[in-house]
Amino acid sequence: MSQTVHISSFISRIAISFLLLLLSCVETRAQLRLGYERDSIPLFRGFAVSFDMAGFAEKMLGSHGQIEGALRLNLHDQYFPIVELGYGIANHANDAVTSITYKTRAPYFRVGADVNIMNKKHTGNRVFLGIRYGFTHYKVDISHPLLKDPVWKYEEPYNISGEPCTMQWGEVLFGLDAKIVGPIHLGWSGRYRFRLSHKDGIMEKTWYVPGYGKQDSSALGYSFYISFDI
Amino acid sequence: MMMTQQNKGKSIVCRTVLGCVAVLMFLSSLVACSSIDCPVENTVLSVYNLDEILEDTLTITSHRKDGSDTILLNQGINQSTFKLPMSFTQDVDVLFFKTKKLPVTDTVRIGKENIPHFESVDCGLTYFHNITSLNHTTYGIDSIVLLKSRVDYVSNSPHFLVYFKDRD
Repeated sequence: MSQTVHISSFISRIAISFLLLLLSCVETRAQLRLGYERDSIPLFRGFAVSFDMAGFAEKMLGSHGQIEGALRLNLHDQYFPIVELGYGIANHANDAVTSITYKTRAPYFRVGADVNIMNKKHTGNRVFLGIRYGFTHYKVDISHPLLKDPVWKYEEPYNISGEPCTMQWGEVLFGLDAKIVGPIHLGWSGRYRFRLSHKDGIMEKTWYVPGYGKQDSSALGYSFYISFDI
Repeated sequence: MMMTQQNKGKSIVCRTVLGCVAVLMFLSSLVACSSIDCPVENTVLSVYNLDEILEDTLTITSHRKDGSDTILLNQGINQSTFKLPMSFTQDVDVLFFKTKKLPVTDTVRIGKENIPHFESVDCGLTYFHNITSLNHTTYGIDSIVLLKSRVDYVSNSPHFLVYFKDRD
């Protein structure tokens, strides 16, 4: 218990430190403003395509993750309708402790919009607030080589194969996008996720959901992307 | 003045890039951390209530796979409620209710549908159950009423109400 308190306090301190660092990174003199900036810049400013490196790294380094790209419309450097398409993969084989194997792979999409809340909209650097609606239909395989009944001592394999599941969810996000060079931008977003509806099959719960991430007590998600203006 | 504006622009970009790098490091540390969210209430038990306190000694057993007996309730005295496990995958659980004062043994057969339940790859697997049938002999038991058919982690309300015959 004591250790848990110490760990959570440590994580909180780190999180607060980073948040402070972020606030300092956002140009302090650039005031944030929500509202249409009236000027001579045209409404349509082009498209941007992006690739999420965080989900890809997660998949490369762990047993689950996603490959995700997005198409973002730039309206007056202020409003950014966006479609995010991805393919989520989990291949958690024979867990070291529980011996459970969990597999799923499925496409997903999110649609939504971001609003640039920086006072100076046309600098190429952006601070976003955004919302998303996400949907995925996926099938899950869960297995255990030999599950032993602790009382009756029967041993039988536990096998759920191709169980169909669906989920709809929403996200509220905050993000930064920095112009690096030419049409190239780097950006990140922190996301608060909430389920709108879910069907988790006969086992009543799933673990990794393509596009949503792990269904655990954390409601936070993130992305780190590189984008190209086109 | 022009240089100052350019320097200012570079400064903004540098700060933003630094911010992105810092956030990437922070997010990486989040990825490195993991939490285990297994439910605290993680036993699947069926709950038996008796219509009144049983003034007798009650022992409940069942047969294991290898034929040996396993004791589920060992010589409970003056019982009014108790909780018993259910087998993971058998279609019918056969329980033997043995009383001492009235020296009889009743056989209770509980038919059920077994539903595989999953929480997370970090948590153990288990089965929930839907009780589909109930039969018993009537040497010492008068009747058993099925109150709730679903057996899962929630065991704060009874599944069965057992009426024993008068011990006098």
